[in-house]
Amino acid sequence: MKPRLSIIALTIAALAAGAALLAWPRSTWPLLAVLGVLFGCLTLNHHKPLRFAIALALLLFFIPAAGTHNTFLFELVTTMGIFAAMSLGLNIVVGMAGLLDLGYAAFFAIGAYTWAIFGSGQASEFMSGSFPLPGWPFFYTFAALAVITGALTGTLIGLPALRLRGDYLAVVTLGLGEVVRVLANNLDHPINFTNGPQGITPIERPPIHWMLKPLEALGLKATPALAYSIFFYLLVLAVIGIVVLVNVRLDRSRFGRAWVAIREDEIAARSMGISLTHTKLQAFATGAAFSGVMGAIFAAKQLFVSPETFTLLQSITILAMVILGGMGSIRGALVGAMAVTLLNIEVLKSFSDFLIHLRQTGFVLNLGIASYNFANLSDQIEPAKYERMIFGLILVLMMIFRPSGLIPERRHRLELGEPKKGACQDTNGGACGPA
Amino acid sequence: MALLDVQNLTKRFGGLIAVNDASFSVESGQIFSLIGPNGAGKTTLFNTLTGMYRPDGGRVLYRDRRLSGLSPERIARRGVARTFQNIRLFGAMTVFENILVGQHPHIRYNYFDAIFQTPRLKHAEKRAEARAHELLEYMGLSDRAFDLARNLPYGAQRRLEIARALALRPKLLLLDEPAAGMNPQETDELKQVIRRLRDDRSITVLLIEHHMSVVMEISDRVVVLDYGKKIAEGTPAEVRNIPAVIEAYLGKGALEKPQ
Repeated sequence: MKPRLSIIALTIAALAAGAALLAWPRSTWPLLAVLGVLFGCLTLNHHKPLRFAIALALLLFFIPAAGTHNTFLFELVTTMGIFAAMSLGLNIVVGMAGLLDLGYAAFFAIGAYTWAIFGSGQASEFMSGSFPLPGWPFFYTFAALAVITGALTGTLIGLPALRLRGDYLAVVTLGLGEVVRVLANNLDHPINFTNGPQGITPIERPPIHWMLKPLEALGLKATPALAYSIFFYLLVLAVIGIVVLVNVRLDRSRFGRAWVAIREDEIAARSMGISLTHTKLQAFATGAAFSGVMGAIFAAKQLFVSPETFTLLQSITILAMVILGGMGSIRGALVGAMAVTLLNIEVLKSFSDFLIHLRQTGFVLNLGIASYNFANLSDQIEPAKYERMIFGLILVLMMIFRPSGLIPERRHRLELGEPKKGACQDTNGGACGPA
Repeated sequence: MALLDVQNLTKRFGGLIAVNDASFSVESGQIFSLIGPNGAGKTTLFNTLTGMYRPDGGRVLYRDRRLSGLSPERIARRGVARTFQNIRLFGAMTVFENILVGQHPHIRYNYFDAIFQTPRLKHAEKRAEARAHELLEYMGLSDRAFDLARNLPYGAQRRLEIARALALRPKLLLLDEPAAGMNPQETDELKQVIRRLRDDRSITVLLIEHHMSVVMEISDRVVVLDYGKKIAEGTPAEVRNIPAVIEAYLGKGALEKPQ
């Protein structure tokens, strides 16, 4: 499609989808349409300012406006944002630097516990002082601190990466990731740091009374729950904005180049004067930092953390986002996070509901030659229960049909604007991005 | 003063002595060739010089400082660049980016410069980009600057590898069979390039090559290795008449008259 035509189509689609979402805030289809438009904003390669404006309009007007009628929208997009930050972080480690890390959820846990312990009464178990610390200003301080603790743990877990490669590294990071979870599970004695399997609750949230006035000015009398939904939605959006910016800038700096260089060929990279030690640890630390800050936000948003949240499955889910989106691709990581989260908490669930509805109403599908009565459908068949199987299927299909992901990595270093036309013509394997 | 002084260098792999007590010294401004039959230990010698392998004996001095025992990245930072026998480009990166990676040690800014896009970063990146363009021009790769390295034709990949090595601003450049797989015309161009490197940029070149035309035409000095041992050293004209060399290449009895 011609660039102008496709951007016009995208604009119209955005308005239509946005309007539909406002009209039916509880329905799945308008939501899918809106996310589809966001996906389009990420995929197209031209009209950057306009695409950005469309995405902002959807994220800052249509979704929040519809969200006031259906807080689930905030919940969904906030979760997407949290996962997006993590998939962006993991994308640095796995996608760019090529270091397979299966313990990534550990950094999320570190970030979450950083605030959970001090933002609740938990800290008074092992130190004196008055806890919980108040949300203002300590939530923000600890969110910043979570960046640092995340980065430090990242460095620590990155240390074996200096000696190991490929599968071996994956096994060790998997183990270390589990170590963090098991520590969280067992550090309730002899000194109670983490409160063990019961988890920590309630966790302080930052005060948001400053937000109520502007909301009222917009004609919205928000309950505290709704106001917090909006607050975390905006907070996560802002953090995602920062994370994307940092990602893009690092990607285009000598650090990003060094990451990709060691992924492509360690030996050649070393003989270009690139230190493996520094480069790998930087990748681990940077990736972990993003996860750390989202951990702290997650703790405050959920009011509750427990070791159960930070399982191997969580790490794998984030890895699936990176692979689905396209290894090494920033836009891919965002799309992957959106798609997987959506599948996880919206599509499969509503498909299950749909099947249950069909079963209960005894719908008969009549195709002429064959007919099927949905009342006979076994109640074992419930897509939400099979999410792992469906993920596995998706990943296998991706590996077969589109191994470089939905939005493949596109290396570019252009100080003279776009590459000349035709520069990508003889590319193999879609490395130039979707045409 | 010798730029590179290799003294009694030995490298073993188990029972195999890949480089056996090799000594030679490369003067600044020379084009110095290393030849020998397959498996003579030439590439192993290169790998030992550049820190990929630790030597089991002997030492290497570069500008009178010890090189042996340093890591590859440290050696690269000292100004010793190399290319590889089996081309090792960063395939998923563009040609232009490959050159930028080559300049890595010379691009100086820290992490926070990168996050906040400070003037220091902009300045450094601009300079690196200008230099990358200059190098691509020099190696005749300008029109492929934004292609992925893996999509280049073979000859261009070889040239890109040299360009990337040059980005490191080396004093000493180690070329491992740069003419391998090149057609005669490309080989001629390569000879010109190597001469120009020495003449325009005063880079000393240490060369492994099987194309005898390249070795004989452009080398100032040649060392012949066989089974890891140095069996001859001299100017190309001298070396080609040494019986041991002919024997190593063509086999025992090659010099005897046919019966």
